[in-house]
Amino acid sequence: MKRQVSIGLAVVLLAAVVVAIIMGSGDDDPPEAGLTTVRGVGGSEKAAYFADQRVVAAFAKHGLKVEFDSAGSRQIATTVDLAPYDFAFPSSAPAAQKIQQDRKVTKVYTPFFSPMAVATFAPIADLLTAHGVVRPGPTGDYQVLDVAAYLDLAAKGTRWDQLPGNTAYPARKNVLITTTDPRDSNSAAMYLSAVSFVANGNAVVSSPEAEAKVLPELTRLFLDQGYTQNSSEGPFEDYLAAGMGKTPLVMIYESQYLDRQGRADGSIRPEMRLLYPAPTVLSKHTLVPLQGRGDQVGQLLTTDQELVRLAAESGFRTSDPKVFAQVVADRKLTAPRDLVDVVEPPSYETLERLLDAVGKQYK
Amino acid sequence: MNMLRHRRFPALALSLLAATGLLAGCSDDSGSKPEPSPAEPGKLRVLAGSELADLKPVLDRAAQATGVRVEFTFSGTIEAAETLAAGGADGAYDAVWFSANRYPQALPEAARRLGNQTKIMSSPVVLGLAKSKADALGWTGKPVTWTDIAKAAEEKKFSYGMTDPSASNSGFSALVGVASALAGTGAAVTAGQVGAVTPELKKFFAAQVLSAGSSGWLSDAYQRRATGADPGQKIDGLVNYESVLLSLNAAGTLPEPLALIYPSDGVVTADYPLTLLSGANEQARGDYQRLTDFLRTPDTQREIMTSTHRRPAIPGVDLSAGFGPKDLVELPFPATQDAFDALLSAYFDQIRHPSRTIYVLDTSGSMAGERIDALRTSLVGLTGVTNDLVGKYRRFHGREEVTFIPFNTTPQAPISFTVPETDPQAELDKIKQTAQGLSASGGTAIYDSLDQAYRLLGQGPPADRFTSIVLMTDGENTSGSEYADFERAQAARSPELRGVPVFTVLFGEGSQSEMDGLAKLTGGKVFDARGNGLQQVFREIRGYQ
Repeated sequence: MKRQVSIGLAVVLLAAVVVAIIMGSGDDDPPEAGLTTVRGVGGSEKAAYFADQRVVAAFAKHGLKVEFDSAGSRQIATTVDLAPYDFAFPSSAPAAQKIQQDRKVTKVYTPFFSPMAVATFAPIADLLTAHGVVRPGPTGDYQVLDVAAYLDLAAKGTRWDQLPGNTAYPARKNVLITTTDPRDSNSAAMYLSAVSFVANGNAVVSSPEAEAKVLPELTRLFLDQGYTQNSSEGPFEDYLAAGMGKTPLVMIYESQYLDRQGRADGSIRPEMRLLYPAPTVLSKHTLVPLQGRGDQVGQLLTTDQELVRLAAESGFRTSDPKVFAQVVADRKLTAPRDLVDVVEPPSYETLERLLDAVGKQYK
Repeated sequence: MNMLRHRRFPALALSLLAATGLLAGCSDDSGSKPEPSPAEPGKLRVLAGSELADLKPVLDRAAQATGVRVEFTFSGTIEAAETLAAGGADGAYDAVWFSANRYPQALPEAARRLGNQTKIMSSPVVLGLAKSKADALGWTGKPVTWTDIAKAAEEKKFSYGMTDPSASNSGFSALVGVASALAGTGAAVTAGQVGAVTPELKKFFAAQVLSAGSSGWLSDAYQRRATGADPGQKIDGLVNYESVLLSLNAAGTLPEPLALIYPSDGVVTADYPLTLLSGANEQARGDYQRLTDFLRTPDTQREIMTSTHRRPAIPGVDLSAGFGPKDLVELPFPATQDAFDALLSAYFDQIRHPSRTIYVLDTSGSMAGERIDALRTSLVGLTGVTNDLVGKYRRFHGREEVTFIPFNTTPQAPISFTVPETDPQAELDKIKQTAQGLSASGGTAIYDSLDQAYRLLGQGPPADRFTSIVLMTDGENTSGSEYADFERAQAARSPELRGVPVFTVLFGEGSQSEMDGLAKLTGGKVFDARGNGLQQVFREIRGYQ
């Protein structure tokens, strides 16, 4: 099932919050004179960055005003009409490759990326450590969630209250990572990429046989959750506001967590923890220039020191690792410098087929 | 309180559904079809749940601060989801705002019309019990599970009221939540599991003694019965949003406060996402952002919490005293329409107590022509002839006993039907034929006919049925006993009969004061069919039967 997404609808929550914090309510400034408007469309997790007044000012120095619309990466690659846009900025390499092929674009930019991560709470991390699902990472400065061990629990339909010795969270519901809707959202597709690798015996799914083999297990990870939200901000908001009861484990972009942590506004509380799935996948935010000055936006995001630093401050890992490392040090963020266990997502076509097959089970 | 007064929307929705063939066999008998309000800058047209009426002071302040005014059109969630799916909201509304997007998200054609979603507040569905009852059950200060609650319910150790899950979101959330908890699978309930969990659900719903089409009326009825203002059986508690229960306590009008039971195995929480429609224009999109920015500022979040007893949606605003635990386990919610449909069908046809429903119907001479046609159509509309979702859940249900008492100068002989639990269509067809055979002539003996209904109820075994009377008349009483006679008779009736609510339908030249009086005297409710049309009202009443 394909969903048409009309652009112009997806104004992102995070953008709202950031705008509200930075400049107070009311943000309908007239377009600055003398600036060239560049229109882009991309994943919602980047909308806050483009709405940041410091980012706006940095583009203005180069004579640009970037208007950014949010849409899911799958939609950008398939149903969104790209005609009005100067660049597309999907959150995954497979979606970018699809656009690149379709539009015969030669040069793309990958100015920043984020590993997928699992936000949780100390009591849950401790509990899962006791059950061999969570363990210290190889460099000791972060914790990993062992995807194979997690899949074992999930395959058996284990409920939280069936974990021996669990007094921290004796909930009568399955041990499942909360994701977004696989029919709509890129973060769910990234999650599927990581688990499909493990379910396929630690190999990227690349054949119809492998697809058929992994599908039943993957489908269950989504369907057993029941209703899921259609944008990655939704479950992360629940994590921040409602807490452990609603979302003991939630799949997010690392950048969402680091952005909040960097603000030091108390929304990341001391008992909150960020786990890195082993293996994880990288969400590579890839800018595909389409026309006009879209290419210049890609160049600036990669080379302009101010824009690169602001991306790091928004929680993104920059192509120059030093910038990100500096922000992590300055802001005392809990992000490991390097992640060793990273796998490639399946090809665009394989991923689409897997997502469609999972989506068909919602009936 | 927030009566379901459908303005603008129902006529629009009905005509659109009719236009798309979804209401085959039904005519649109709504009296008026105002045009949808046109889009304009600084105005956000929002199709919303009626419970959001309590946000008016907050939205007034938001309008002053942001220049964006919200224009609400109230509707039920299922109706709204169906309207969205049929394209009926395109261009007519800029946003939708219900307690949750779970239902529309399950209809692909509705889901693709949902754009950006911004959570504004939240409230879990919990059980509120009179404090002495909660103490007696040993449920204060210790963890209680849905299984504990279902067990006590089966043994009739307490009674409660709940809204109709096809009419109101709190009822829908409660049904799904209880089913998820009692299924015990730890995963979202599927259509295939509904059969297995039905026996458990029957236990829980054995203690339900009151249904209602709206949360507001349910709270009012609970309060009036608790204070003795209504003749109906006193009820020990309510299944409803925490916010509704806390508001009841805060009003200070209950003889004793409600103790809120938060089942330790999980709840279902409404998160009130203000949702832009994907087709909204640039202007509406900007207005939407300004409004949601404002509603999510810490000060506004605090104001919402204080004035509506709903929980804040942003981190950093702490729950004030009076709320239950901050951290509640959230039960998985089904994601498919099949699962919803299986649950709702089982609820109505198998799980809840069946209804005993008497329709006292004016067939006097003044009803001739369009009016009797409308009455026939309205009754036929409840016999499973409509294919739309709402019509499906409002039909006469399995196990229900339906009686027509047509009247003119005198009451005619009652005609009763019992709808079987399975394969109901043959009996429904009989009801349909009877309704189609109604004809108009003669005078109007309202009170003699009502009295006949009570005599009939006095004969039958009333146990474990939701018993109620619908009175539809289009004029003043012209024959037989009078309103004052009814008042006297009512005082002399047994407590059980006195507690049977009469739902009166204002139609034609019916006497408003007498219809109001009857509803008040019996703990019923007045439904105005003069503007909304008889069919809409007959459907609406189903939520209370």
